[in-house]
Amino acid sequence: MASESPPNLLELDRIEAGYGHAALVLRGLTITVPRSTIVCLVGPNGAGKSTVLKVASGMLHPRGGTVRLDGHDVTRHGPQQRLRAGLAHVLQGHSVFPEMTVGENVRLGAYTVPDRATVATRVQFVQHLFPVVSEQWDVLAGLLSGGQQKQVEFARSLMIDPKVVLLDEPSMGLDPKATATVFEQIERMRDTGTAVLLVEQNARRALQTADIGCVLDLGRVHMSGPAPELLDDPELSQLYLGGHVAG
Amino acid sequence: MSGGLFLQSLILGVLLGGLYALMAAGLTLYFGVMRVVMIAHAAFLVLAGYLAWFFTTRTGLDPILSLAVTVPAFFVLGVGIRRLLITRLKPATMTMMSVLLTFALALVIEGLLGFTFTGVQRRIRTGYSSANFEIFGAQVAVVKLIAFVLAVVALGSLWFVLKKTSLGQALRATIQHREAAELVGIDTDKVAGYGFGIGLATAAVGGTALALDATIYPSLHWHWIGPMMAIIVVGGLGSIPGAAMAAMALGIIHAFLQVPLGATWAQTVFYVALFGTLMVRPQGFFGGRLAQRF
Repeated sequence: MASESPPNLLELDRIEAGYGHAALVLRGLTITVPRSTIVCLVGPNGAGKSTVLKVASGMLHPRGGTVRLDGHDVTRHGPQQRLRAGLAHVLQGHSVFPEMTVGENVRLGAYTVPDRATVATRVQFVQHLFPVVSEQWDVLAGLLSGGQQKQVEFARSLMIDPKVVLLDEPSMGLDPKATATVFEQIERMRDTGTAVLLVEQNARRALQTADIGCVLDLGRVHMSGPAPELLDDPELSQLYLGGHVAG
Repeated sequence: MSGGLFLQSLILGVLLGGLYALMAAGLTLYFGVMRVVMIAHAAFLVLAGYLAWFFTTRTGLDPILSLAVTVPAFFVLGVGIRRLLITRLKPATMTMMSVLLTFALALVIEGLLGFTFTGVQRRIRTGYSSANFEIFGAQVAVVKLIAFVLAVVALGSLWFVLKKTSLGQALRATIQHREAAELVGIDTDKVAGYGFGIGLATAAVGGTALALDATIYPSLHWHWIGPMMAIIVVGGLGSIPGAAMAAMALGIIHAFLQVPLGATWAQTVFYVALFGTLMVRPQGFFGGRLAQRF
């Protein structure tokens, strides 16, 4: 029987998850990420947005539900197995290795890739995609600005040629100009064929970039649909986007 | 101070500083990788010294050759200690509880050494033990030079491993951002184990170098753990170059103070530097951000 690629790269199906013995943070949450698509999760603090990413990347194992990556059940797989299967995760805040050069940081993204020629090709690819990477190649990553560091983290995550990248609050702590650059780079990642699952406090800006939006509340998907429609939704705007409908 | 005495003190200080740097390197590495304060590091130095002495006494061969056995053995021992003991500590209280755990380990090693070799002071005797050579009028003991060379070779090897190998990259990444290291596929648990092993392997070299020029006895480690702790705090916890620079600076000051103050009082330089650092620059002088520099 010929097997076709499933339409959704990443599927979180009826996920229940929490930390330790505390109450559940995610309560039967279902989210799908299609190929070459930016899916954005928005919602109030405590809605469980970052927890979704931790469950997706394997940093947190769910108490119930299924995680599928490219059609395969990876629910019990750890972060390293999911990384090898093509899932990369960029953490909230700054997560460069600050006392290593940009080049060392980027190359470490390919830590699990044994073939040197493949690594060299990927280095060229990310240098082309993120000019700051080639410009600052020999500079210690900790000396870069917040926006530049975030781009180095993006470049590092793309070194494995991932099918899907999880981005946790990529604009946190950045000034408006750096935020604009970061969102442009997210679009470029999508345009080069990588699916993106994005968690963002800056909901309006994120929905302007995303293809699909999911509104989380109390550990469930409260509303989802094409991002432009969500932006125009008066109820959503009132509750989550600062009170006025995007014009 | 005459010119000859100045030069003599300077050379002695540099040679001692190199040895101190090696002895402290492992201590700062444990902290960098796992936030472990390894009180037993000095006891392992003394253990290595005893093994070198035992090797030479039994075989008649040069004590440096014992490194062929003790370096890999200490590496394996380090990996094992971390796996069997350190990992049982809760991450939230790792630093504090590791002090207690490794304090007990130091007592166990001291007890075993006393039981096995008695409390009698031992000294390695080789053909060059009492040999000196002259440099610009200053007399330099051959064993001090050999200890210094051993330290330079060991620290150079450590630098090479950390900077130029895949394991070293993984180790540095684990120290600098453990969660991000896991997300690029580094097995941080395994890497931390290797880091502990490497730290203990440096103790094998440091202890052998120390024993070339010092009388050893089971409780000798209490004499060294204080100065080594001072060195890694002054250098910046977790920073190997910081520890090396602090060791060199304190080694030289120590050597110069020995002339007017004598050996006992000169030792106080480590504690004065420790208190001064904690008051003025608690993060250390050479490390900058805690546990991130190499």
